[in-house]
Amino acid sequence: MARITAGIASSHVPLLGMAVDQGKTGDDYFGPIFAGYEWTKDFEKQEKPDVVILVYNDHASAFDMKIVPTFAIGCGESYKSADEGFGPRPVPDVEGHPDLAWHIAQSLILDEFDMTIINEMEVDHGLTVPLSMMFGTPDEWPARVIPLAVNVVTYPVPSGNRCWALGEAIGRAVESFPEDLNVQIWGTGGMSHQLQGPRAGLLNREWDNKFMDLLIGDTDEARWIEHIEYIRETGTEGIEMVMWLIMRGALGKKTRCLHRHYHIPCSNTAIGHLVLEPKPAG
Amino acid sequence: MTERKRITDIHAYLEQFEDVPGTRVFTAARARKGYHINQCAMSLMKPENRERFKADERAYLEEWNLSEEARQAILDRDYNALLDMGGNIYFLSKIISTDGLSFAEAVSSMTEHNFEDYKAMMAAGGRSPEGVRSIKGKY
Ligand SMILES: [Fe+2]
Repeated sequence: MARITAGIASSHVPLLGMAVDQGKTGDDYFGPIFAGYEWTKDFEKQEKPDVVILVYNDHASAFDMKIVPTFAIGCGESYKSADEGFGPRPVPDVEGHPDLAWHIAQSLILDEFDMTIINEMEVDHGLTVPLSMMFGTPDEWPARVIPLAVNVVTYPVPSGNRCWALGEAIGRAVESFPEDLNVQIWGTGGMSHQLQGPRAGLLNREWDNKFMDLLIGDTDEARWIEHIEYIRETGTEGIEMVMWLIMRGALGKKTRCLHRHYHIPCSNTAIGHLVLEPKPAG
Repeated sequence: MTERKRITDIHAYLEQFEDVPGTRVFTAARARKGYHINQCAMSLMKPENRERFKADERAYLEEWNLSEEARQAILDRDYNALLDMGGNIYFLSKIISTDGLSFAEAVSSMTEHNFEDYKAMMAAGGRSPEGVRSIKGKY
């Protein structure tokens, strides 16, 4: 039986991808950011997940304004890195897991989550930066990846409650897959940042850390945070944190924190990173 | 943090987004208004389009169904004006990349700071949410 063994949250700032691609991860600016991922790189070498369900948002790369799916799941064989305006990142192709992806897609639809199915697309920094942060620079990615793209750009974006519930449904779907697979779920994006308008540059260390606290243990309070609170407290792009709730929802009633890292700033953004494991209640 | 409730009033939901200082939330109304601006910016993901744009920006923009005001704002790289016209930063970022600018530099151009001061603000912990959460509530 397939099982979700860990949940990882991480920012996915494009500049981190550039730092990796240009070999700058140890310099004065990036060193403290990447240092907080060393623990996780070792963890991943031990855990060797078979599949990562990678929750992210597309930043006007695979989807333009022609089609805006709220929740979309990648069921394809493989995905190439997108050209975001300065050439594609030089990273390995991302290998999918169509069997598990289609199983999850079907299960979710029967569970009343009306998913969009994607068979072909390119993946942008939202997906490839977390892979680089957790796996470094291998010749090929050590795990299969199921992309799960969430609209967090055009409003209304899905509510926190809906994201959490989708995570719960993903948890049930994975458990009903007969093959013995070690599956992780990653929630990416955030933390506080605003990339637009005169208020750009907003960061909120205190709120971000309170949010991380709420993903640990048995509280589900975070699912009720309203969109306006993310915008007021963490900036317009802080709304990406609803994607962390899909990861958290998939881990079940209770979690334990294995690793935690926070750093300000990376370009315009606060970097947050959590490694959680599901913990049986009681 | 907040009480448990579902969003039932779409008007109240949308109205609160207009209460955040210096911010244009990308609502459906803005997405409709800025559709062609965003699709035009998006076209710069293709290298051949980037080359044509760089060779003659004005001519490239003439090919798109844009207002003269929007064309001028793109030529001026006036990102605040483009946000007002329904542009979204993730689409506009294709122009930023085409210019070879860092995201932070383009973002700083929308604020009261020059790039150096903006970087210094970020290094010092970023802009505080204090006083810029709500126009009406002034908190
Ligand atoms: Fe993002």
